[in-house]
Amino acid sequence: MDRSRRNFCLGAGAATIGAATAAAVPAAAAPGAASLRRDGDPAHRWAMVVDMGKCVGCQACTVACIMENDVPENSFRTIVSTYEVTEQGKAGSYMLPRLCNHCEKPPCIPVCPTGATFQRRDGIVVVDNTVCVGCAYCVQACPYDARFINHETQTADKCTFCVHRVEAGLLPACVETCVGGARVFGDLNDPDSAVSTLVREGNPKVLKPEQGTQPRVFYLGLDPRFQGKVDGTQTLWRPSAQPHAQKEHA
Amino acid sequence: MSISRRLLLKTSAAGGALAAFAGGFSDTGRKLVKGAWAGDKPDHAISGNAPAPEFRVDPATGDLTPTPGQIVANVACLGCTTLCGVRVRVDVEKNKVLRVAGNPYSPLSTDPFLPYGTPIRESFKSLSRLDEKGLKGRSTACGRGNAALEMLTSPFRVATPMKRVGPRGSGQWEPIPFDRLVEEIAEGGDLFGEGPVPGLRALRDLKTPIDPAAPELGPKVNQVALLSSVNDGREPFVRRFFNQALGTINFVGHGSYCGGAYRSGSGAVFGDAKKMPHAKPDLQNAEFVLFIGTAPSNAGNPFKRQAMLLAKGRTDGVLNYVVVDPVLTNADNRAAAERSNWIPIRPGTDGALVMGMMRWMFENGRIDSNYLSQPNGKAAEAAGEAGWCNATHLVIQQAGHPRDGRMLRASDLGWVTLDEKERYGAKDAFVVLDPSGTPVAHDALMGPAALFHGGTVAAPAGEVAVKTSLTLLREQAMRLDLAGYADACGIPADVIAGLAREFTSHGKKAAANTHGGMMAGNGFYNAFGVVTLNTLIGNLNWKGGTIFGGGRFPDEQDGPRYRLASFPGQVKPSGTAISRPVPYEKSSEFKARKEAGKPYPAKAPWYPNAPQLTTEYLTSGVVDGYPYPLKALFLWNSNPVYGIPGVRAQVEAKLRDPKALPLIVAIDPFINESTAFADYIVPDTVLYETWGWASPWAGVPTKTSTARWPVVTPRTEPLPDGRHVQMETFLIALAKRLGLPGFGPDAIADMDGNTHPLERPEDWYLRGGANIAWLGKQPVPDATDEDIALSGVARVLPALQSVLKEEEWRKVAFILARGGRYQNQAEGFEGDRATHRFKDGLLVYNEAVGAAKSSVTGKRWTGTAAWTPPAFADGTPMRQVHTAEDWPFQLISSKSVLVSAYTIAASRLRHLHPENPVGINAEDARRLGIATGDRIRIATPGGSELATAIVRHGVMPGVLAVEHGFGHKEFGARPHVIGGRSQPVVPEIGAGVNINDLGLRDPTRPGASVWVDPIAGTAVRQGLPAKLERVAAAA
Repeated sequence: MDRSRRNFCLGAGAATIGAATAAAVPAAAAPGAASLRRDGDPAHRWAMVVDMGKCVGCQACTVACIMENDVPENSFRTIVSTYEVTEQGKAGSYMLPRLCNHCEKPPCIPVCPTGATFQRRDGIVVVDNTVCVGCAYCVQACPYDARFINHETQTADKCTFCVHRVEAGLLPACVETCVGGARVFGDLNDPDSAVSTLVREGNPKVLKPEQGTQPRVFYLGLDPRFQGKVDGTQTLWRPSAQPHAQKEHA
Repeated sequence: MSISRRLLLKTSAAGGALAAFAGGFSDTGRKLVKGAWAGDKPDHAISGNAPAPEFRVDPATGDLTPTPGQIVANVACLGCTTLCGVRVRVDVEKNKVLRVAGNPYSPLSTDPFLPYGTPIRESFKSLSRLDEKGLKGRSTACGRGNAALEMLTSPFRVATPMKRVGPRGSGQWEPIPFDRLVEEIAEGGDLFGEGPVPGLRALRDLKTPIDPAAPELGPKVNQVALLSSVNDGREPFVRRFFNQALGTINFVGHGSYCGGAYRSGSGAVFGDAKKMPHAKPDLQNAEFVLFIGTAPSNAGNPFKRQAMLLAKGRTDGVLNYVVVDPVLTNADNRAAAERSNWIPIRPGTDGALVMGMMRWMFENGRIDSNYLSQPNGKAAEAAGEAGWCNATHLVIQQAGHPRDGRMLRASDLGWVTLDEKERYGAKDAFVVLDPSGTPVAHDALMGPAALFHGGTVAAPAGEVAVKTSLTLLREQAMRLDLAGYADACGIPADVIAGLAREFTSHGKKAAANTHGGMMAGNGFYNAFGVVTLNTLIGNLNWKGGTIFGGGRFPDEQDGPRYRLASFPGQVKPSGTAISRPVPYEKSSEFKARKEAGKPYPAKAPWYPNAPQLTTEYLTSGVVDGYPYPLKALFLWNSNPVYGIPGVRAQVEAKLRDPKALPLIVAIDPFINESTAFADYIVPDTVLYETWGWASPWAGVPTKTSTARWPVVTPRTEPLPDGRHVQMETFLIALAKRLGLPGFGPDAIADMDGNTHPLERPEDWYLRGGANIAWLGKQPVPDATDEDIALSGVARVLPALQSVLKEEEWRKVAFILARGGRYQNQAEGFEGDRATHRFKDGLLVYNEAVGAAKSSVTGKRWTGTAAWTPPAFADGTPMRQVHTAEDWPFQLISSKSVLVSAYTIAASRLRHLHPENPVGINAEDARRLGIATGDRIRIATPGGSELATAIVRHGVMPGVLAVEHGFGHKEFGARPHVIGGRSQPVVPEIGAGVNINDLGLRDPTRPGASVWVDPIAGTAVRQGLPAKLERVAAAA
């Protein structure tokens, strides 16, 4: 099996799925990072746990996000990468919901020349589009390909954990419409929350732990065997010309 | 095989994100100099253009604050045929639907769903972060359901009535005033300058027979046909017009080209070939489920309910399941590890698998004898069973006996004397053998009867050879050994045995289910076999087994408040429907041919064991005029030209020819592949603009009716009186012009005999709502003012108050506010049995099938499940005509996660999934030098299409897997010209390939035909013989 194939099965670019356990999650931010944070209520630390075994790959999250946030055409703040994998001659389906990891140490923030990208005190990483100049350094810095340049506004765009809904006491759009119940959202600072319980007891993994980003999107059932051993074909295929994508390349 | 780096980048699911990642940096300097706002300025610095949330819930106090200008209303989705209950968020001022999620009262969207009495305020809180209620009670819309709202504002919607101005199918239209539309369709005339066209007034002849030599065909009004699609909650209204007021018998839905083979096979077990009852696995409690030819969390019906229960069962619950299908789908999930398994199978060979399983079960004593041996319901109940079947009932098996193949009856043994009408009916008992081997009436024995017997019984006219039903089934199962079955279906013998062992290792908490994978040339028997597996373990009506479903609260019946089923002057349609769903032997054609000495074959097949079949309407009814020609065809949200495999090639020329079919009227919000041939298009409302009372297809243990009511103003043309052009207003106007009964003033009677008008859609649906409100042990409560305000029902309050009586309107408002009427979840089961149980006996042997003859060959069918290879109408195996040497591949169809037959114009879905590359097994691809992304040409005996290849391990060798929903020629794929203005040009809508354009005709039939299952009459799209060649490398 050649290397490109391996990357292919694991998603975009050089992405690899980390198998390290996200044990000992610090509930509070490191002091240095926290000092740069603003807005939001530091009493909370919002996070998501994805129970992979519950995902049915229906893309309800993907489309709900688009509808809720008026995401530009041909762009996605979240998506479920769907693969066909083969292990020991046996083929199976594998779904990987992807979104901004709202990292504890977000590599997108230090590279922002204007301060448009920042982390709220509740952990949500956001972009102030009135400050962003669309330089796309953050897009490049994100190891999870979670950011893109919004081709309508020409500013950096990404998942906000639906901060406008969370502040209204509601759930992010992707969570409330998750058909399989795979996406769980809540407050890591609340030890009784569902996410705290799952992180504590579910042996979750994160994507690319070696990057040291400390993601706050956790995955249950992200099998270590899927690191480099799988043979995958993307079944949700995107073959046709994407006018907006071409525009970005131009 | 390797996938190039370039393709790798192009195909990444990260889509826009990756594109951004890969480029755009050279602009940085320019943007920094220019400053912010190189583009459009969004509404909010952080949240961009996201609208204000629909309401706020204080996480500390639970206080709810609605958002002014928005309503959150519970209605039904129509993105697919599941018709889920959804909650729709509307910007009232903009008349715009902002987003769709699930209705928390609806079992189709929520588990557990809210108790029905829950106030609307509490239902909103149940969706919020308050105490994390929203996680436990989340109520969802699927990907398609989230995007379906695009249909409301699609630039391809038809908003005004249109009349063609060019030749049929030319795509040239002129708007026509509503009154003029009604007049032309009613009165006919030289409407297109092509000669006279009969109007409905002339066609409504209820007396003159179509053919005096064949009076059984019925009156001339039968030459008007309506093709429907799915009952979207409005079908009773359309039936009222076409069946009861106009009086034609020809009214047919889409089942015969959807999943009808499964339904027919199930109907054979449940003993009703017309309504075709079916049960579903109780996914909430099952320990093992075998899915054959259906993909429960990939698609199917009810999609979301199955998906959420499957996801829960395979993680937190006790469910293990296996999906047997030629193609791997999202029904599998490797993260659920051994809980979920996929086994590939050759197309159209499911019958071999299940008969092999049955053989193993018979040989290893793994059938549920306690269940199977009970001869009637009372004995079964006494034996602790929740149902019964006819396994022990004796079947006459004597060549030459006039009742060979029929069930032995009490009257055959001289035990009772019944007149002609009652003989062999419900009063004429079946016969079983008691433990001593003595024949007894099936309903007289209060204990087990003999399961297996082959011998004779003494009858007044002499000995009669008989066998029990189960003996006949066992004989079928024993026809091949496991190696033979394995050879047929491509599943190793030890896997067949293993499946049988697993299936029979969970008592009643196992189930088998199927659906669209049965649409093969032997689909009836394949499905009969899958459903018979359930019979052999006696799992019906059991928690964790198969459940019949709670059904619905019917709106269109007579009472308890209004008589909606009957009216003075109503017609009882008579005659023979175009698809001949009656015994050929009762026809004048048969008598004439018999007299001529050669009763068989009939000119074309008859389908006594099937309902009406759209598969015969265009070929027989339009092209061949058999058994009589159609003169007017109405298409209501129906698209048979896209949906029936092989039909386009057979009928397109005749559909274009007004002489062959003088009048085609479409009632549809869009121009689809069929309505493109219409003479007139009447725009219909879509989704949340519409009234209706929908219900689940199956799989919900509790009674469920989903409400549809308009939460936005229809975008169709308004009429002077404030109504809008849509199906209902069109049919009301047409009925009034023609003077038909059942419409207009005084058309609806209440139970006291007072009459009420049927002038507006709400006249019908709100009175139906009143019927629903009063069903059950007690009527539903009154809606509170707060329910009405929070649910958006205030919007339709004037209609409620003007149409309904004082004591009624708040009850109907209660139902509308909750998006339907729902029996509480706790009432689904009584102990370990389903509350709503199928009471009649299941059929191991179905005499209506086993005694019927093929109208083509004159040979009798097999009355039990059986393995038989796919064949044409005269019994010739398909592979004998189209050999594997010439056509080495077989095409199969799979349902799409995202795209349904009519949602292709939704750009958000298209951007996510723009094409349907055809899956080819990796080994086949290697042999043929085909790589993912290559262009390939697929040819069948019915046509040839270009497609894109995707090389997969998850496809059975020798199979080409085509996802449904693409390859459109209309819906925007070609722009029509309406009133001189062209529709937008969006060629992407035509992307991909439609398997139905590759369907076959039946080479053993004279005249026009499509290949159908010989008993079920259902279209064949699973296992189409094919060959392929590589045309070009990936672009």
